[in-house]
Amino acid sequence: MCWVWFHKLGSPKYFYFWSKPLALPLFCLGCFCLAVGLVWGLAFAPADYQQGNSFRIIYIHVPVAMLAQSCYFALGVAGFVYLVWQMKIAPIFIQSMAPIGAVMALIALVSGAIWGKPTWGTWWIWDARLTSVLVLFLLYMGIIALQNALDDVVLANKATAVVSVVGLINLPIIKYSVVWWNTLHQGATFTLMEKPAMPAAMWIPLLICVVGLYCFVASLVLWRMQSEIMQREHRSSWVKQEVMYNNGF
Amino acid sequence: MTYTSFLKSELLVLWRRKQDVVNAVLFFILVVALFPIGVNSSPEFLSPASGGIIWCAAVLAILMAIEGAFKEDYLDGSLEQLVVSGLSLPLLMLLKVAALWASVVIPLLLVMPLLSEMLSLPSGAFWVLIMTLLVGTPCLFFIGIIGSALTASLKQSAMLVMLLILPFYFPIIIFATSAVQAAQVGLPYSGLLAMLLAMSLLSLVVSPFMTAIAIKASVN
Repeated sequence: MCWVWFHKLGSPKYFYFWSKPLALPLFCLGCFCLAVGLVWGLAFAPADYQQGNSFRIIYIHVPVAMLAQSCYFALGVAGFVYLVWQMKIAPIFIQSMAPIGAVMALIALVSGAIWGKPTWGTWWIWDARLTSVLVLFLLYMGIIALQNALDDVVLANKATAVVSVVGLINLPIIKYSVVWWNTLHQGATFTLMEKPAMPAAMWIPLLICVVGLYCFVASLVLWRMQSEIMQREHRSSWVKQEVMYNNGF
Repeated sequence: MTYTSFLKSELLVLWRRKQDVVNAVLFFILVVALFPIGVNSSPEFLSPASGGIIWCAAVLAILMAIEGAFKEDYLDGSLEQLVVSGLSLPLLMLLKVAALWASVVIPLLLVMPLLSEMLSLPSGAFWVLIMTLLVGTPCLFFIGIIGSALTASLKQSAMLVMLLILPFYFPIIIFATSAVQAAQVGLPYSGLLAMLLAMSLLSLVVSPFMTAIAIKASVN
């Protein structure tokens, strides 16, 4: 097993040139999949026999909710990588990913509330999933606040990595405690998982939306990381060369 | 410096700043008093809610008490001395948390009989509440001290530490208040206490190392 490629990715310069050609194709693929999935899902997929057309928000809500959790998992892994191997690229990844994850969690909350109004008759209930996404959003905001409060870059890197790792350990505990708490208090609640299995005409566009959003977010993160790398390494000669080249000199 | 001399000096510092501990307890009593005044003072409301009220107040008081745990040490340079002392930093952090825990939680437990009467907590649930505080608060301290260590170099950090650490306290509050409520209605509660203890033990394993990383980063 050759790990050279993995260690090379720890270098900001190598990562910059490795990721540069990837971002635009990923972005185009993501936009294309999202467009296909959303149009298919919103306009052509059959309406749900119970919820009618209001179920169509699933094509936004589910991909976004999945991304919100995946982003946090990625943050935790990056934090672990930074604390163990001190890879310079990991804190750049955390800094670029945290706001995107926060936006995903927020969209999941808002779209869930909009979906909840016609189906459950209320914008918000203290359902296990809603509560755990709310906590997820607060965790993201905590990381962003910590990042902004600490001026020292090295300290900010370490601090966000520590919080990400602690959060990764804690996230399952929070999730299961909330599920448990909810079932103790109010018995059967509405959960997404208990819906009848979807027909293929419904879940294929959903799958396309999920894949599209993953690609979309990946491209955004790569772009944010590239600009963050340029900002952090602005004194090095390769960044100067790159800026000159980009500006046509 | 040895581990025992470090623990002694920590305890001595805490003892000489008795006012801080008194403040934490007064803050705790005030937050508890907000609920009867602000929501409802009838025993019908207070009795089932008392476990939750006491736990929420305890969480806030504890977080306020440990938020600035490293401020003075950072400013007068003794934090650097800990890092270069050659002793194991995680172990020192463990001792510090132990000293802090004793100084904050024991006074809180002492005022608990009074508050449980004021909130008309049924006497059967009182000892369960004490048990949840005993096995649950170490976890609060272990998680909170990480936030405190991360923000040691900042001047104003109380709000930041609250924002950062409170979400991690959700499971502890859930299990602790569930245990008190279960005891009130006569359900078995030992499993909930075991969960609290498990979380405290898990944080005991993880937190000293994370705190040590945070201290090293703050000092440099």
